[in-house]
Amino acid sequence: MNKVRLIIGLAIVTVAIVAASVLLYLLPLDVRDHSPVQPIAFSHKLHAGDNGIHCLFCHSYAAKSPAAGIPSMEECRACHLFISPNTPEIKKLMKYWEKREPIPWVKVYSLPDFVYFPHMMHVRAKLSCAACHGEVAAMERITRTASLKMGWCLNCHHQHKASIDCWTCHK
Amino acid sequence: MKRRTFLQLGTVIAAGAVLDGCRSKNEQLIPYLIPPDEGITPGKGTYYASSCNACPAGCGILVRVSEGRAKKIEGNPEHPINRGKLCARGQAVVQELYHPDRVPHPLKRNGPRGSGAFTRISWQEGIGLLTDRLKALQREQSTNGLALLTPHLRGTLAELTGRFMRTFGSTNHVSYELLTPDLLRIAARRSFGQPTLPYYDIAETRYLLSFGADFVDSHLSPVKYGSAFGEMRQGRDTVRGHFTYVGGRMSLTAASADRWMPAKPGSEGTLALGIARLILAESLYDSGALAMNGLEAKKLLAALDRYDLPRVAQLSGLPQGAIAEVAREFASTRPALALAGEMVAFQSNGPESVRAVHLLNLLVGSLNRPGGIYPDAGSPSGPENSFAELIALIETMRGGHVKVAMIHGDPLYSVPPATGFHDALAKVPFIVSFSSLLDDTALHADLVLPDHAALESWGDVIPVAGTREPLVGLMQPVVEPLFDTRQFPEVLLATAHELGGRMAAALPDESYLELLKGAVRKQAGFGAGVDFEAAWVDLLQHGGLFKTKSVQPTGYRWSSDAPPPLPEDPDFAGDQKTYPFHLIAYPATAFYDGRGAPYPWLQQLPDPMTTVVWGSWVEINPETAAEHGIGFGDLVEVSSPQGTLRLPAVVYPGIRPDMVAIPLGQGHRGMGRYAQGQGVNPLALVARQGTKQQPAWNATRVRITRISGNGELVTAGHPQGSLRSELVEI
Ligand code: SF4
Repeated sequence: MNKVRLIIGLAIVTVAIVAASVLLYLLPLDVRDHSPVQPIAFSHKLHAGDNGIHCLFCHSYAAKSPAAGIPSMEECRACHLFISPNTPEIKKLMKYWEKREPIPWVKVYSLPDFVYFPHMMHVRAKLSCAACHGEVAAMERITRTASLKMGWCLNCHHQHKASIDCWTCHK
Repeated sequence: MKRRTFLQLGTVIAAGAVLDGCRSKNEQLIPYLIPPDEGITPGKGTYYASSCNACPAGCGILVRVSEGRAKKIEGNPEHPINRGKLCARGQAVVQELYHPDRVPHPLKRNGPRGSGAFTRISWQEGIGLLTDRLKALQREQSTNGLALLTPHLRGTLAELTGRFMRTFGSTNHVSYELLTPDLLRIAARRSFGQPTLPYYDIAETRYLLSFGADFVDSHLSPVKYGSAFGEMRQGRDTVRGHFTYVGGRMSLTAASADRWMPAKPGSEGTLALGIARLILAESLYDSGALAMNGLEAKKLLAALDRYDLPRVAQLSGLPQGAIAEVAREFASTRPALALAGEMVAFQSNGPESVRAVHLLNLLVGSLNRPGGIYPDAGSPSGPENSFAELIALIETMRGGHVKVAMIHGDPLYSVPPATGFHDALAKVPFIVSFSSLLDDTALHADLVLPDHAALESWGDVIPVAGTREPLVGLMQPVVEPLFDTRQFPEVLLATAHELGGRMAAALPDESYLELLKGAVRKQAGFGAGVDFEAAWVDLLQHGGLFKTKSVQPTGYRWSSDAPPPLPEDPDFAGDQKTYPFHLIAYPATAFYDGRGAPYPWLQQLPDPMTTVVWGSWVEINPETAAEHGIGFGDLVEVSSPQGTLRLPAVVYPGIRPDMVAIPLGQGHRGMGRYAQGQGVNPLALVARQGTKQQPAWNATRVRITRISGNGELVTAGHPQGSLRSELVEI
């Protein structure tokens, strides 16, 4: 009798542990905001969409460096000294500049340290920016469209016959 | 609230807290205000060649800089000393740059000395304070009241400090280091008539016999000789060089040997002569080499008559058979190479013992031959008696004749208290420190004028040894200075300008960089047609001037008037009854003479032999430990006639039973948060032994007492597990 109870008990515990593990795996533990509110309501739709500014105009390092980079405050200011300087958001920008403080943008795409993602190689492979970043030209506020999980990376590498050697990304 | 509800609520809150912990927050993305105009590409590294100045070896380095920040250092493959390799201390040079306790601006003392209470002042005020003092000395016509104390400087900086002191009219200019190779130079002068350090051709030799020279750990040029040792073992297809190590403590170098001869401290010279005598008696010597050096085997044998095998065996504590075997192996394998290091030199009979080792090289014909020793071209004429100069300075300070002391480095830490330096320095009314961290000396200073970190500095780094071609390594700033600091030579130049008159005339250069360029230009011997600016950029890109004007190659030759080396019996402080053990204070692999202690990477680097991290320890033979009831990690008290220290014990089979050893480098009173209060400084135990000319830091006796079972020893492995064997069998 006791033995049976023990076995049932053990079975329940095992099932519970397995279920918990599965749950833990499935749970969206990465609950970073996919569309965070930015300190300045920068509209990609306006810049990249309506005005047709090319991504690389602002993210100018994407073609030559692992990091795409973001424009410096000086660059934002240089344009906006003349372009709609009186709108409230631009006034915010100028206030930052006057205080000599950089804008604390909230990062939407970020990969952990153990992943090596070089922008320049993807640009050189003629991949469109939208392949990873979605239709940015249509976004008022930037929204993350990709999961950035390893499976997602691998899928794309498979499709494009890119290397799936571990050392390609983990170095 | 019911107990049950409380528990339920509590669980929910706890679960919420745990889940919240899993949540990763969005990070921020901070743009440049104004992007730097130097063509910086974020995410891409730029590599700058420079030189390591963390020890006298002067290796070449490549620094990876991205977004204007120095990120990583590796060896410069083009540099003739280290050929792309680098030691841990060299890797840690980045941590000097980013140390959180760097002195960010000049400081003036505003509390009692040593309290560490300082106020911020401007550079103008700082240099003003210094020049006021110096002007007062000039007015009183007591310019000799200025003293300058630095580590061994070479190249342009030595030139500049020398000129500064000479013009000012002071003779109190001492450059001193604890692990100075002065004694090796003295020995070379006595034997060969020239004070050049030896260059060991380890890579080509077939039998290596080291007398206490830890060339893998710290001796002269560890990276160079470490890789040469690898060449000797594995670089040739058919030969694997043999290595015998003589010395009472098993260092990392000794652990790499095929045979370990734990000779009694101070007896190494006698042992060398015993080996020499056996080689002479059995006619195993190279007669051509003897004749060439004007020596006669018969006469030499007669001179070494006292060093018969039984006596040498008794004095060194080694079995006769082993000594004879090593002597025969050494003499019958060609080329064979014998080296002598600090363990031997810092005994009371140091220089003569080193000479005894020279004689061995001569006997087997290894002078100026591949696989033997050559005169080193690194810095051929270094100081020979900096210790005597230091002692003289201490006397002057004690007499109250020094009014202003300018100090670079940390002598309050690295000069043993037994010399009386500490009390003498307290008598100096005005102390200026140029340290970039508040080290022990800076804490006692009245004025701190912080130096740049090495990665922010210009300079030339001339290796002390490890090369047969003279070379000059260059240091260049790889990042903008992080703080309001100034390079030491710049401060000297600015002070000279402020003083005006003769000083300003003698040191007219606007900046140290100009001075440096001029010196390198002279060194390189460029003809008139050379565009120097272009050549300079080229030198910087490669890390230095590796091909200087060819110099006449020199060789070692036994001086005609040099007597055979005859080391006296070693002399120890403390009588054998009260103090039964020999103390060896050896440079820790991570810290050298203490310079590495402020950097957490090095603190966290497990000692290669004992695996201890963060702290000091004393190594005790298992037999001795058992006799005294001392277990691994117990707190023990080590007392010498000079002082007493408490530290944990490491029961270590790699040491003679009549010897204990403590690594150097810990026990700082200052030097930032990572060094402060870690471990103990073994120099507090070291007695003043030897003569005025010769420091004998390894000639002190101590006694040990167990205090408690809790020594708070931190190890990274299970050294007891791997060291359980009884290695020492005598
Ligand atoms: S041996 Fe000396 S010079 Fe060479 S890397 Fe190590 S600390 Fe630097």
